[in-house]
Amino acid sequence: MPTSETDRSARLADLLARTALSDQAAFAELYRLAAPHLYGVALRILREPALAEDLLQEAFVNVWHHAGSYNSAKAKPQTWLTSIVRNRCLDQLRRREPDTVTLTRDDDEPEMELEGMGPTPEELLLSGADANSVRSCIEGLEGGQRQAIALAFVQGLSHAELAEHLRQPLGTVKSWVRRGLERLKKCLDAAGFAI
Amino acid sequence: MNLSRPDRSARLDALAAAYALGTLGPRARRRLDRLGQRDPVVAAALRQWEWRLAALADGSPGITPSPRVWEGIRSRLGLTAADSAPGSASTPWWSSLGLWRGLAAAGFALAFALAISLLSPRERPFESVVVVLAGPDAKPALIATAERGSRFLTVKAVGDLAIPRDRALELWMLPDGRPPQSMGLVPATGIDRVALRAPAGVALQNIPALAISLEPPGGSTTGAPTGPVLYTGRVERTY
Repeated sequence: MPTSETDRSARLADLLARTALSDQAAFAELYRLAAPHLYGVALRILREPALAEDLLQEAFVNVWHHAGSYNSAKAKPQTWLTSIVRNRCLDQLRRREPDTVTLTRDDDEPEMELEGMGPTPEELLLSGADANSVRSCIEGLEGGQRQAIALAFVQGLSHAELAEHLRQPLGTVKSWVRRGLERLKKCLDAAGFAI
Repeated sequence: MNLSRPDRSARLDALAAAYALGTLGPRARRRLDRLGQRDPVVAAALRQWEWRLAALADGSPGITPSPRVWEGIRSRLGLTAADSAPGSASTPWWSSLGLWRGLAAAGFALAFALAISLLSPRERPFESVVVVLAGPDAKPALIATAERGSRFLTVKAVGDLAIPRDRALELWMLPDGRPPQSMGLVPATGIDRVALRAPAGVALQNIPALAISLEPPGGSTTGAPTGPVLYTGRVERTY
């Protein structure tokens, strides 16, 4: 692990500990350091800046109240924060009725920049995987598995949306995801990555 | 459906993976959420997959959110002083202003403990040291009391504190302007006594506050808190 990442982890853990003490300056610094990454995660899943902003706000209000429950022995601080944000995003996405979720958006929406011009979900998944071991685990997935997991992970697509997007039968997509996750777990665990 | 049965671990693992990835449908997601709330085996499977996948996003590119977001957070939490002032970063946590604000917020918790000690059956005028240790929610988590002349501090956990089984709670004195000093480990449930080097009135004479941090079993090996500080409380004297 590069030193800069270790330093960042230690810094975030320290800020979380001080946030648990209601230290407002530490909380502000925590926000400054962690918000861009978390906002990126939320925006790619929710795809609407207003929704992602609201969600980020909720998440940080939650972090202010529950920073004390962060356990450095179990997860890296950024992983912990990301899981809070991802979980809330997924709750929100899945709360909507399936038929109200749409893959098309108005052309004047600023988040259009995220697609077309930006990296693909697979590229994002690979670039997001800092450690070499994690990257090789993702690369070790078969094409369909990798594509389906990347789309689900980065953009929060459901099975039905994946099937539509990838133009594949629902059953095929489901089995790509399931087998891909099994394989990912085995590979990550073997690389000593698991908690 | 009892997913925590050992013979169903593969099924639980697959469901937890789909939950964390987000591909589970809304009904299954809610059901698994509810199961996780009452079944620790299910909860652990969910957290493990959430963390495993969240780690995949560790290096993904950030996007700076609008300043509206921080303004919203500040106004919702009623934060006063905090702007993005990283200048305070070099201030050690025990001397930070935020700690003292947090302690002030725990004021009602103190009233609660004083009321308890005032209800003591012994009617003689007593001279005690009382510390109510509370988390960020200001709810009392532990109460520490000692007679002024006693060489023991009695520490009682209020209810059952949710501490991971492989962690311990360590009590610290927070002297003004100096680093924390360990007082030893304290229980997450029930009552325990912590030995003091001098009578409480003397040992805690110049100690404005105590704090409790989460540490490895046996306590911090560095002489300073290593885990998050979970609870803090102002040292109050009834004399």
